[in-house]
Order: sequence, then C-alpha cells, then structure tokens
Amino acid sequence: MKWIQEDMEMFVKAREYLDTVVIPLYPISFGEDVKQTANMTEFINLLTTQLERQFKGRLILLPGFTYFKKQDSDKLVNDLLQWENTLISEDFKHVFYVTSDSDWKLKEQELTGSLIWLPALPLELLDGKSRNTMIDDQVKQLLNLFVKRWHNEL
Amino acid sequence: MSKNQVSRRQFLSYTLTGVGGFMAAGMLMPMVRFAIDPVLKANATGDFIPTKQKIADLTNEPVRVDYTFTQVDAWYESEVTSSAWVYKDDSGNVIALSPVCKHLGCTVDWNTDKANQNHFFCPCHYGLYTKDGSNVPGTPPLAPLDVFPFIEKDGFLYLGKAKPRKEA
Repeated sequence: MKWIQEDMEMFVKAREYLDTVVIPLYPISFGEDVKQTANMTEFINLLTTQLERQFKGRLILLPGFTYFKKQDSDKLVNDLLQWENTLISEDFKHVFYVTSDSDWKLKEQELTGSLIWLPALPLELLDGKSRNTMIDDQVKQLLNLFVKRWHNEL
Repeated sequence: MSKNQVSRRQFLSYTLTGVGGFMAAGMLMPMVRFAIDPVLKANATGDFIPTKQKIADLTNEPVRVDYTFTQVDAWYESEVTSSAWVYKDDSGNVIALSPVCKHLGCTVDWNTDKANQNHFFCPCHYGLYTKDGSNVPGTPPLAPLDVFPFIEKDGFLYLGKAKPRKEA
C-alpha cells in the first residue's frame, strides 16, 4: 500500500495482514554528482512503485527517506534507526530499505532492517518500453527476496 | 401558370416557416448531440485496450498478457502497465483473468507454489485460486478473481475493464 488516504483506509481494516514496511532512500546533491543522485532517486522511485503493485496487500511503501549527500552519515544512520524503532513499536515485523546509493552498503551492519542496494539503471538512455521491462525484471528478482524473508519467519 | 398562383401571404408564410425551421434546427442539433454524446462514445472501441497477444497463439496454459494504458492522477498522467492471465478453456473459449488478488490487492502468479500445482497463487498471504479463478476455501481471499471482458480484432486480443464475478 502506498502512503495515501485511500490505501490507509484499507490498512486500518486489515492491519494484521500488513507486517512489512519499505523505505526508499533518496540521496540529494547539488555538487558534481547532481545528475547521478537524481537518477538514483528516479530509478528507486520507479522500482519501489512497481514493487508496491506486486505486494500491495502485505507492505506499506513509505514516501521515502530523503537526505543530502553532504550530511554526516553517522547521524543519518541514527535517524534511520529511530524510524526503525518507531516502526517496530507499531508492530511491523520487517523493514526493508531500497537504495542505489552505495554509501549505505557500508552502514548495513548498523541497521536492523534489510538493506537492498541496486545499481541505478541509466534511465536517460532507455525509452519507455525497455525501461519498463528492465525495471520489471529487477522487481521480479526482488520478489523472491521478500518471499524468502517472509517464509523464514514461519 | 394562372392556376398555381402563389399569393403574397402564402409566399411569406412559406419563407418564414422555412427560415424558422432552419434556425430551430441550428439551435436544437448541438443540444441533441450533447445529450446523446455518451451513447455515441460507448459504441466506439475506445474502452478496449489492445494487447500484443494473438488469440490463435493461446493455449490452455495461462500466459501473462501485458497491456499499457494512461492513468491520470489529478494533473499527473502516467503510462501504467498492467497484466492479465489469459488461456483457453477445454471447450476453446478464451478466459482472461485479472491478476489482482481479491484479498488485499497483491499480484497473483500462475503455478508458483510447489505445494499447489496448477493454481493461481498470491505470495502475500498464500491465497489460492483454481485455474478458472475461483478462490480456494480456507485461504484468505473471499471472492473469485475478476474477469476481463475482451474482443478480438484482427486476430489480436483487446481487453476491457475487469469485472467482479457474482458466484463464489
């Protein structure tokens, strides 16, 4: 489900079925990597939208954790851990982070939730059709990851 | 000539009726067109979305058929790709099922659960549907999968808007 009123109405009724939260991590920078960070954000946005469509009934896609690349990474991890604690106290069992920013890979151990890092596709080089197929393919591979994680809990 | 005399009075009343008629028609025609416009629209193929699937290529094994349409969210238009599960039943009729789980809206897959071969399976809460789309009792979904109305045009499949079924 998306973070929109319509979906949340359904969420209130079927809360016990939703135990997973997906938080996309969106980097922003106006330095040399302005295009890269924008592309990462665009790519992860498309990918998570598609992911949400597949697993609408089991996960909530939050609007995303947006940060500046310049920010201190330890502080960012702390912020994210606070998000995590809040979500766990709300009875969510699984937290997934999805990002293209490889800096998070270094901080993976410090987070309790699962970090999914995917290199961003060069979206500018793709036309609409092939973009959709490529993102679909990537999402398909992610699906297994989610299903396995859910299975382990049983 | 003298027998078919048209009097001044007659001539004027004919002309007035004629001109008046034209004016009335000019006013009424657009109104009538507005009134029946929805009817005319529904008659066009507009509501059916083309797919790349040839009807002749369908077998009794469900295949995923993708179709793309434009979705408008307030001012934001986006191209959305959706899919349908399409196959031919034993008597050769085409069946097009919606992949949206009737429980909470996840996307169901064909034949992915090893314990339940030849079923539609929802990975979110392990919902099951038989091949004809009926929900398996004891699993979370409470209704059968929606069915797409479809038409065949030049051998290709065109899908309409998925409709819920009544019987459970």
